[in-house]
Amino acid sequence: MVDKKQFKALCKVLAATLALVSSAAFSMDLNMPVGVTPTSHEVYDLHMYVFWVCVGIGVVVFSLMIISIIWHRKAAGHKAAHFHDNTALEVIWTIVPVIILVALAIPAAKVLVNMTNTSDPDMNVMIEGYQWKWQYNYLQDGFSYFSNLAADSNAASQLGSKINPDSVPHYLRDVDHPMVVPVGKKIRLLITSADVIHSWYVPDFAVKVDAIPGFINQGWIEIDKPGTYRGGCTELCGRGHAFMPVVVVAESPSDYAKWVAAMKASNGAYIDPATMQPEHNGSPVVYATPLLNINAGNSAQLEPAAAVLPATASKAPAATAKPASGKPVAAEKNLTMASAMKLGKQVFDSNCAACHMADGKGNAEIGAPAIAGGPIPNGPLAAHIALVLHGKGIMPAWGARLSDMQLAAVITFERNAFGNHQGDVVQPTQIRAAR
Amino acid sequence: MHTTAVAHEHHAEHPSGIWRWITTTNHKDIGTLYLCFSLLMFFVGGLFAMLIRAELFEPGMQLMDPAFFNEMTTLHGLVMIFGAIMPAFVGLANWMIPMMIGAPDMALPRMNNWSFWILPFAFTLLLSTMFMPGGGPAAGWTMYAPLMLQTGMALPFTIFAVHLLGISSVMGAINIIATVLNLRAPGMSLLKMPLFVWTWLITAYLLIAVMPVLAGAVTMELMDKYFGTSFFNAAGGGDPVLYQHVFWFFGHPEVYVMILPAFGIISEIIPTFSRKPLFGYTSMVYAVASIAFLSFIVWAHHMFTVGMPLAADLFFMFSTMLIAVPTGVKVFNWVATMWRGSLSFETPMLFAIAFVFLFTIGGFSGVMLALVPADWQYHQTYFVVAHFHYVLVTGAAFAIMAGVYYWLPKWTGHMYNETLGKWHFWLTAISANLLYFPMHFLGLAGMPRRIPDYPVQFTDLNQIVSIGGFVFGASQLIFLYVIIQCIRGGKKAEARAWDGAHGLEWTLPSPPPYHSFTEPPPAKLIWTHPYTGE
Repeated sequence: MVDKKQFKALCKVLAATLALVSSAAFSMDLNMPVGVTPTSHEVYDLHMYVFWVCVGIGVVVFSLMIISIIWHRKAAGHKAAHFHDNTALEVIWTIVPVIILVALAIPAAKVLVNMTNTSDPDMNVMIEGYQWKWQYNYLQDGFSYFSNLAADSNAASQLGSKINPDSVPHYLRDVDHPMVVPVGKKIRLLITSADVIHSWYVPDFAVKVDAIPGFINQGWIEIDKPGTYRGGCTELCGRGHAFMPVVVVAESPSDYAKWVAAMKASNGAYIDPATMQPEHNGSPVVYATPLLNINAGNSAQLEPAAAVLPATASKAPAATAKPASGKPVAAEKNLTMASAMKLGKQVFDSNCAACHMADGKGNAEIGAPAIAGGPIPNGPLAAHIALVLHGKGIMPAWGARLSDMQLAAVITFERNAFGNHQGDVVQPTQIRAAR
Repeated sequence: MHTTAVAHEHHAEHPSGIWRWITTTNHKDIGTLYLCFSLLMFFVGGLFAMLIRAELFEPGMQLMDPAFFNEMTTLHGLVMIFGAIMPAFVGLANWMIPMMIGAPDMALPRMNNWSFWILPFAFTLLLSTMFMPGGGPAAGWTMYAPLMLQTGMALPFTIFAVHLLGISSVMGAINIIATVLNLRAPGMSLLKMPLFVWTWLITAYLLIAVMPVLAGAVTMELMDKYFGTSFFNAAGGGDPVLYQHVFWFFGHPEVYVMILPAFGIISEIIPTFSRKPLFGYTSMVYAVASIAFLSFIVWAHHMFTVGMPLAADLFFMFSTMLIAVPTGVKVFNWVATMWRGSLSFETPMLFAIAFVFLFTIGGFSGVMLALVPADWQYHQTYFVVAHFHYVLVTGAAFAIMAGVYYWLPKWTGHMYNETLGKWHFWLTAISANLLYFPMHFLGLAGMPRRIPDYPVQFTDLNQIVSIGGFVFGASQLIFLYVIIQCIRGGKKAEARAWDGAHGLEWTLPSPPPYHSFTEPPPAKLIWTHPYTGE
């Protein structure tokens, strides 16, 4: 008799062999990832358990068939028996499967109870699906941002792009603004959608939760080790279904706290955690590049710029952050051409480049006109603002999705980039007036 | 008998040429129409699949816009399910049920004509949407709201096509029930009916129960789009998940509509070529009935990730696992039928044995998918695609091919070309596994389904899958050739074309007379097994 421990060990040996063979022959694993959350480990064990149970049943049933095919051939002179009933046998092969199924159902139910227990989280992140991007909303810290397919993947994935996807790092599995979370914390994911049904899936977390417009679904993760984890949308959501990856960067709690502080101070700009030096030796982090120098605009929940300083940041864990509701009415700060162009490019790449392309040349296939030399960015400002705010046809109404500051910056950018030289700097007040 | 006299009158005056096929009320003509239509749709749906596999041959978009790719996946599903698999089974039922139960024809012959001739119109509507502004339906064959509501002009056309398909199926089902319950020859009690008849009787009840549910689901979408209702719009008090519940209340029994008649065909073929009676006839009937019952209480296992309460997840997990029990009984019975038989391996038997092997593999992945925690990893990945192609292609389609080879001599009066039949089988069986088996690995590695482009690490396996797909597609041309060749001529088939065959259809000459049994067959022919004499 093989006991449970031996069985598990056997499974692991076989799984390792399989992984070895697969990595030798193919550029991917052939099995489910073990993953980095308690749930994913349990799910992997359950998967291997049911897999070997099926293999066992398969070996028995298929052996009997093969024996019969070899021995009981007419060509081999075998004469047919005449039996066509055996009550005892039939009872046995009804009862035995029931017992096997109960043995499968009990561990599955246990794992399920754990998976669905989203109570007592250390933090919450709200995830909203859009056609075709994700928005991450850090409820307790009061900032949110969109996460789009990375520009190089987007360019390579266009019909007839002539760009070899092999040359693009993490093709279709890379985004401009990854979700950032701390390791070792129970994070509750609140998942919903703004338009059609999406599904947020990261194989390494064993989390796949449908994002349903008008309803909030829940899932939870507690990641073992820092790293970058990749997944995507798994519910057909239209033309861009394959092009809205999920990338999650898991960081140590201290690095995470610094990132949160930097985000809160950034006036709606995204801070790439990769550009923040990791804490190798416990020394305080110094930013290599200064953050965008725009003071608190109309994105009400912003902290004063001082919070950006690393020393302050490391002392300001997420819990002490001001809730989003406490909207201090900060003085409206004017954009300069330089700051508007910098923020504007980021907003453009995240939100506009998917259709108008990163080089501003547009995409005639889907009816997205060129920004470069286009009539709108080179026409009257009021019409430009109105179009961006309210949308038209397949152009979404961005008024609901972006702040006045972000809109002012991106419109300025569009009028002064890609060879356009309108020279005007749009201010958030103008956007507010036009709403 | 009155019916006999009427039948003879019709026989004398039935028109020839195209009008024979348009006005026919004969079960064999209508069966032939269904089968030819289904073969045509098999190639149309197959063409869509070839385009899908060509685009997926390598990462990057090479051939089509992602929106057109979505149309292809949607239409491939709709055409294969409603155009290829279901009409093929109805065609087999039309041809075989009256001959198997000793009846002259179907009970409602005029309705039979109508239920077939709706189909070409329905598919003309459906396929014409590809040429409409905004393109055809692209929300998957499941047509989930709210995505489906973004369809352009194609939406009402698609929905009316689905309505027509539903009407056709329900009429076909009513006809089968009326025939089986009323036209059995004296002595043919219910528990003496061939299993193919039994499985179709139960399938017909499933169809009547669920096709109106599908019609309701898509009609609600029509209302949401054009009449201002909010069934599936949360902002108006509705719920997008309601659509999924209603759809899968249809959808899961629909899955069994596509597999129960396959069970019936396999249960005819394996005893014939094992030269031994079917093992456990009664338990086979009860197993089919329990599968049909369970099919009504498992629908939500298609939607474990929509955020149902824990109790609902547990209920649907346990009820789904239960299905493995009667399905297992069927597989064990087939194996026991082969056991100590005297087996020969003509093409129908090869397809039937492949069915048992490969359907069982689809069953295993079904059990794995039933476990909710594991399903959260498998759901909406290629693992699911592998699962349902194992049960629908190497399951249902293999059973249909087995049935066609098995009954072709009866239908045409000629034996088909056995060598070409074996070539067709081996190419089909090998390429199908090349096509579908690697999909398990792709799914486990996290490749979502219904995507036109994929990360580069999935390239190797997708190329194997695509090559398998192209070979599979090309192999079906052999099938077409064998059928045409067999219709045009060949070695004369005897009444009992297979030495181990039993059942009333084999007591009629090959090909059978235009009206099957104009007089009830002698009672001693019913259920007399050629080997056991029982």
